Amino acid sequence: MPEPRDLVAGGAAGLAAGLVVLPGPGSLLDAGPGPLLHLAVAATLGAALGVVVGQTGGSAAANLSRGLLLGLLWWQLAALTLEPLVAGQGPTWSIDDAAAELPALVCALLFGGLAGLLLVLLPSQTSSPADHTVRTRVVVLGGGFAGVATARRLERLFARDPGVEIALVSKGNALLFTPMLAEVASSALEPQHISVPIRALCPRTRFHRDTAADVDLDARLVRHADGRTLPYDHLVLALGAVPSYSGLDGLAEHAFTLKSLGDAVALRNHVIEQLERADVEPDEAERQRLLTVVVAGGGFAGTETVAELFDLCHVVLRYYPRVEPEELRFVLVHSRDHILPELGPELRAYALERLRRRGIEFLLERRVAEATPGGISLEDGTEIPTRTVIWTAGNRPHPLPAELGLPVSRAGAVLVDSTLRVEGRDDVWAVGDCARIPVPGLPDAWYPPTAQHALREGKALAANLAAVLAGREPKPFRFSAIGTLVALGHRTGVAEIRGYRFSGLLAWLLWRFVYWSKLPGLEKKLRVGLDWGIDLVFPRDIVLTTPERERVPAAVRDA
Amino acid sequence: MRRAVAAGVPAGLVGGLVFGAAMTQIGVLPTIAGVVRADSAVVGFVVHMGVAAIIGASFALLVARQEPGAGETLFWGLTYGALWWFIGPLTLLPFFSGDSVEWTLARAQAEFPSLLGHLLYGATTALVYVALTQPRALVPTRSAALRGAVAGLVSAWLLVARLASDNGLLATSTAMGDASPGVSALVTMAVGVVSGTAFAVLYPRLIDSAGVSLIRGVVYGFLLWVVVPLTLLPLFEGRGLTWSLEETRAGFETLPGYLLLGGLLGLGYHVLCALARLLFSDDVRDMGREGAGTRGLRALGQGALAGLVGGLLFTLIMLQIDFLPTVAQLVGFDSGLAGFLVHLVIADLIGASYGVLFRRQSYDAGSAVGWGVAYGFCWWVLGALTLLPVFLGGPPQWTAAGAAAAYPSLIGHLLYGAGLGATFYALEVRQSPWWVSRTQAEAERRERRRQHVLTSAPALWALVVVVALVVPILLAG
Repeated sequence: MPEPRDLVAGGAAGLAAGLVVLPGPGSLLDAGPGPLLHLAVAATLGAALGVVVGQTGGSAAANLSRGLLLGLLWWQLAALTLEPLVAGQGPTWSIDDAAAELPALVCALLFGGLAGLLLVLLPSQTSSPADHTVRTRVVVLGGGFAGVATARRLERLFARDPGVEIALVSKGNALLFTPMLAEVASSALEPQHISVPIRALCPRTRFHRDTAADVDLDARLVRHADGRTLPYDHLVLALGAVPSYSGLDGLAEHAFTLKSLGDAVALRNHVIEQLERADVEPDEAERQRLLTVVVAGGGFAGTETVAELFDLCHVVLRYYPRVEPEELRFVLVHSRDHILPELGPELRAYALERLRRRGIEFLLERRVAEATPGGISLEDGTEIPTRTVIWTAGNRPHPLPAELGLPVSRAGAVLVDSTLRVEGRDDVWAVGDCARIPVPGLPDAWYPPTAQHALREGKALAANLAAVLAGREPKPFRFSAIGTLVALGHRTGVAEIRGYRFSGLLAWLLWRFVYWSKLPGLEKKLRVGLDWGIDLVFPRDIVLTTPERERVPAAVRDA
Repeated sequence: MRRAVAAGVPAGLVGGLVFGAAMTQIGVLPTIAGVVRADSAVVGFVVHMGVAAIIGASFALLVARQEPGAGETLFWGLTYGALWWFIGPLTLLPFFSGDSVEWTLARAQAEFPSLLGHLLYGATTALVYVALTQPRALVPTRSAALRGAVAGLVSAWLLVARLASDNGLLATSTAMGDASPGVSALVTMAVGVVSGTAFAVLYPRLIDSAGVSLIRGVVYGFLLWVVVPLTLLPLFEGRGLTWSLEETRAGFETLPGYLLLGGLLGLGYHVLCALARLLFSDDVRDMGREGAGTRGLRALGQGALAGLVGGLLFTLIMLQIDFLPTVAQLVGFDSGLAGFLVHLVIADLIGASYGVLFRRQSYDAGSAVGWGVAYGFCWWVLGALTLLPVFLGGPPQWTAAGAAAAYPSLIGHLLYGAGLGATFYALEVRQSPWWVSRTQAEAERRERRRQHVLTSAPALWALVVVVALVVPILLAG
């Protein structure tokens, strides 16, 4: 904002310079009431110059040159354009007109230079440093799609306002692009390629790689596990969901999940490790156990994971000559009578049929009862011997809101109103998988916990927060999902976009294109694109990257 | 301050001596003596030197707090000299002589030799001032000199091979029109090497962006034009110095060549310096903080959008002077609509290049317009005077008459540049307002950056616009 002081000082300098050049044969604007208009223009131009100088400061030399520039630009506007327009002739900008206006040019130039120099003499020169006091602190808990989207939009909304400080607390320092996680598990993509550092995404947010252990809602303090505190004026909960084992035995110990990069890398290493062992394992029963993969849960994550692991094992099998393709067994256990409940019946049937044709077994309307190191048992008593169990059948909202005593649903999701504010609080907001967000106008309808919703919710929350800080009313969040895309492994997928259904290669290409274009940043797009390109012409990598330090054998160490 | 003035007085005296020697050759010194109403050349000379010393001292006051360095000070000196032409011969001299102050074309044309003299005065004063205050600044490192020479050689070669092949030797002098093409090409290359080396003396180290280097080069090219074909060559060939309007008008066709040579040189020198840093620096801290891929594409897109805005502004002028059909001829059409589309595509491409060249160089609306306008001028020379006529099947319009005819297009290009720069700045602010600080570290960085940009940049903008607007008027009128 222009400071009144700069305006006045600049106007005065302009006026003085205008007076000096007034006796000359040219004027700043040659139309109507001569000297008065000239002086008015001089004051206005001076004020404009004063604002520029006041904002960035400057030396005599710099001001002089800026003044010259301003004068010359003004000459083009006034003498060559406005005056012919006022005279009703229309500007020609021809050299003859310009030559005739030379007196005005010299006048404008001398005026500008003089006004610039005078600005140095005037007292407003000490341009005040920008106000760095922080008025409002916004703390975002969670570095997933919702949290990062909120922080990014807030950064943008308050780009020129250093009075609003944004902080983000997340236990990982990168935004994980979860839709491609299954491909990391299947060794098609490199782990780092699908995650972007939060510090790069939100450069002006203060990032804390930490876990928020507790929040003091009354004192407005976020407490970290190590006791440090982070004060806030507005708190945004974007904590996401955590796996839920529904109290089943052995799953927490023996089942893999697929929520983080570490999960995906561990799963990939584990699967390759099983192949390594099976290749040299003489015992037939143990071989079977090693070569069986069981996925619990037939939603997006489960279906994509079983399809991707199927691809991985069959593609790398040529390295394991003693393992026959028929020995590999893939089982998906699902509690309903159909997989992919978010899709329409035809696409569900298509997906099931395609995956069954490949040889993946589907145990529908069955539930996992227990997991042991050597296998799992289902509720109907079926035992499946396996060393690889992946649990995707249950997620629940992050437990922190419930622990804080905020209103939560039966599932544990924090209750928010349609403007994304936590019910009963005006300084706590929530988005993403940890929140239950009502669909405006529909009773008992809530937005599903998906990435595309989380992104929009984050942006809407930032806009609402900015509105509240500016004293305006927040707006209800409205979004209708654009579509659903599922990749079913090798060159096959199903997609439903705005009611149109796609399947097979086209859906698979759509999946790749849509998610690739949603990857944040060009760098990661290039890397993932390269990974996919390499995957077309080279076999998948089976290098084990288990992060274990080599132990030096005692004999060597002591030698 | 005292030291600065102490250096400014002798610097002004040397500048005055050069100016005076030139004016003696032309025989206008007694005019200055008119101030004290004495027709003697000796009195005139003394008055002249006295004024030169005072103006030199005030120049020292002006630049004492600016960024040091030969190149920086030189450009301040040029702008300062040009300004004094308006103040002195056009205003104060007639005022003190009791004549009426006129500022008319006739008066300005009569004082044209003095304009060149003032420019030389400013340049000389600046360089002597640097020699007195920072003597080391005028000694280039071997590698910088080599880079400058290579950049100059390549620029001159490009100019000869690509642009001036039909016209022989546009880059040096019409006076050499009789020489064979081979000889003239060699002379052009030699001029390129020498001017490139001299540029390296002015800027021994790589600083700021390619765009800034380009504009510096263009202004440097203008200075070269004043020094080489207008001053040194006539002296060298024994024709004597006239700096007359007619001779300059005839020599105008070398001006665009020099501007292009300078621009290419500035750009090439920047590229070579960047390349040298990329290849031979073993310290990673010399590298930019972020890779070109990270923000470069965004700058490209923002530049393209800004170019569109500037192009729409330019369209207003094109409509008024009915120029769009001419643009359409570039693709073989003659309808206004086709011309409009072609014009927008060009505006877009130039805007994108602006985004890449001038990224992060605008720290306020003023500097945004300054760089934009200067860049617009470059494209008037390269586009309107050179490429457009060549693509339409003719020779480059490198004549005073051609430039005069393209004057509306000049105004359009400057307007385009202003719109481009301002829009790009607005987009850059929205996306990454790097000068807004959230922490103290950011504040310090911002301060450094601002000082960094507050080099001779304002002088460059002002000088480019003065040259662009005034020189065609003087030569064509």
